[in-house]
Amino acid sequence: MTFLGLIRKSAVRKPLRGSLLIVSVAMAFLIYGLTASFIAGSQGTAAASDDLLGVMNAAGRAQPLPLAYLPRITELQGVAAVSPITRLRGSVGDARNVVAVSAGNPDKLLAVSGKELGLTNAMVDALDDGRDKVLVGRALAQAQGWSIDDTLTVTAFRTRKADGSRDWRFEIAGIFDGKSPSTDTYFILAQYDYINNARGKNRDTVSTFALRPEPDVSPQQLAPRIDALFANSAAPTRTLSEKQFLSAFLSQYADVKRVVTLVVSVSFVTLLMIVVNTLVFALRERRFEIGVLKVLGFRSSRIMMMVLAEALFVFLVGGTIGICLAKLASLAAPPALGLVLDTNVALRAFALIFLLGLTSGALPALSAMRTPILSAFRTR
Amino acid sequence: MTTLKTESPFIALSGVSKTYRTGNESLPIFTNLDMTIQGGDFVAVMGPSGSGKSTLLNLLAGIDHADTGDIQIAGQRLDHMGEAARAAWRAHHLGIVFQFYNLLPMLTAAENVELPLLLKPIPASVRRERVAKVLDLVGLGGRGKQNPTRMSGGQQQRVSIARAIVADPSLLLCDEPTGDLDRKSADDVLAMLGYLNRELGKTIVMVTHDPEAANAANRTLHLDKGVFVENEQVAA
Repeated sequence: MTFLGLIRKSAVRKPLRGSLLIVSVAMAFLIYGLTASFIAGSQGTAAASDDLLGVMNAAGRAQPLPLAYLPRITELQGVAAVSPITRLRGSVGDARNVVAVSAGNPDKLLAVSGKELGLTNAMVDALDDGRDKVLVGRALAQAQGWSIDDTLTVTAFRTRKADGSRDWRFEIAGIFDGKSPSTDTYFILAQYDYINNARGKNRDTVSTFALRPEPDVSPQQLAPRIDALFANSAAPTRTLSEKQFLSAFLSQYADVKRVVTLVVSVSFVTLLMIVVNTLVFALRERRFEIGVLKVLGFRSSRIMMMVLAEALFVFLVGGTIGICLAKLASLAAPPALGLVLDTNVALRAFALIFLLGLTSGALPALSAMRTPILSAFRTR
Repeated sequence: MTTLKTESPFIALSGVSKTYRTGNESLPIFTNLDMTIQGGDFVAVMGPSGSGKSTLLNLLAGIDHADTGDIQIAGQRLDHMGEAARAAWRAHHLGIVFQFYNLLPMLTAAENVELPLLLKPIPASVRRERVAKVLDLVGLGGRGKQNPTRMSGGQQQRVSIARAIVADPSLLLCDEPTGDLDRKSADDVLAMLGYLNRELGKTIVMVTHDPEAANAANRTLHLDKGVFVENEQVAA
């Protein structure tokens, strides 16, 4: 037997109680794993880049900017590449099957966000091969069952063609995967010129300019310089990083991160109270045994470490089960949910497991450490 | 196993006083108690309830403090040690046998016996050998994997004795070791303690109510109201 063996046997000395504790910890970490995966996934902003900038109309993201801004932004010192982007939202087939199309300049898209989206020269050449060609993100393609050479018709919510039609026909030229599993790939990349030339209104305008700064230029310093260029124009700009933009976009609906943090915090506080309460009661039952261990020569500090380790054991086993279940759920969930349980989420979860394990064990451990032997013997 | 025979007393209590206080009430247990026990002795301490037998044992085990006086065991002043030092001293020099065995129910007999060895830097294989050896010694060879809760009282007490001697302590303190046993089991346990004293040289102090148990010792001290009331009896 080792100390670890002794700790394990003490932790599960009452199998039903030990199992229920482990299950409750597992459930709490399952909730944590799922919510953290949601934040880290494509519905969140964790995968968004701080290096890419988006130039939008300061009056609101629904307001267009003139395409004529493009040369002035391109020529600005510190700008590596710029692509005009116009966005089109609509449905495919069922009106509830909503998709988003971002239309840009193929070459410039490769330079601006090719790395983040996992674009290759071959993909961009395929996109450039015809004006109605599009690249589809892997998550969207999987969700819709689309493959290369399929054609699809997006019925736009607002953007009409010159003939009044809202149907936009596209042909899939490639599927992009994104740099990492947490990259948002639930959208379509199309050609700006195709949308711009065909639409009836707002020609030669953009929803945003996507730009990549030179490698040695700070995006945070470049952004105010861009906005200063157009400060006195009819359409002043507001330049944000991709991450800032997504955060602002999501917070229009709700502060998702705060809601998730609140839910997780409440579940963890509840869990902590249950576990501490159970451990304190379990320890009260074992005061006599703690007295015996002390008589055998176990120092109070060692007893304290053992009780702490028991709490940690419960959290480690339960937490690992919970995180593994969350990982399985994230793999099984449809891509549209955008659940990504990556290394960062797992590391944060294990840091929480240790923190909560030690916190919940602290009170019982201190109590065990302070238990006088004679007082422990009187509990028999 | 080591034998500890010394010229000076192995255990020496000098001017030990102990009073329990509850609120405004005081209950004196000892006043200026003196006692000496030689190394290798087997001493029974008898006396009526409340005479101070258990308090004496607690003081010798370092789990209770004297108000005044010196307590010296194997040349070390117990009353000068802090809690951690007393725990370390118990781990190295003391084995305790309780009336109700006090075995941990979630551990097997062998694991219970192994507990004191966890505190020593001994490889697992050596620990297992020592545990097997002492279980053999107490007549429980091959029963190590059994849970003590499924053993008879006599067997549990023998596991308790194995646990007390596995770390090779020089002093064994026994608190009514036969108090919960039938006569046959009690005799077996007393024979075992006699063997440990005679053959392995363990110094044993045993608190008991049972005159037959006291007969197994080679000296008997009678405590009454905190004082030794008559001359000790020495076994022939």
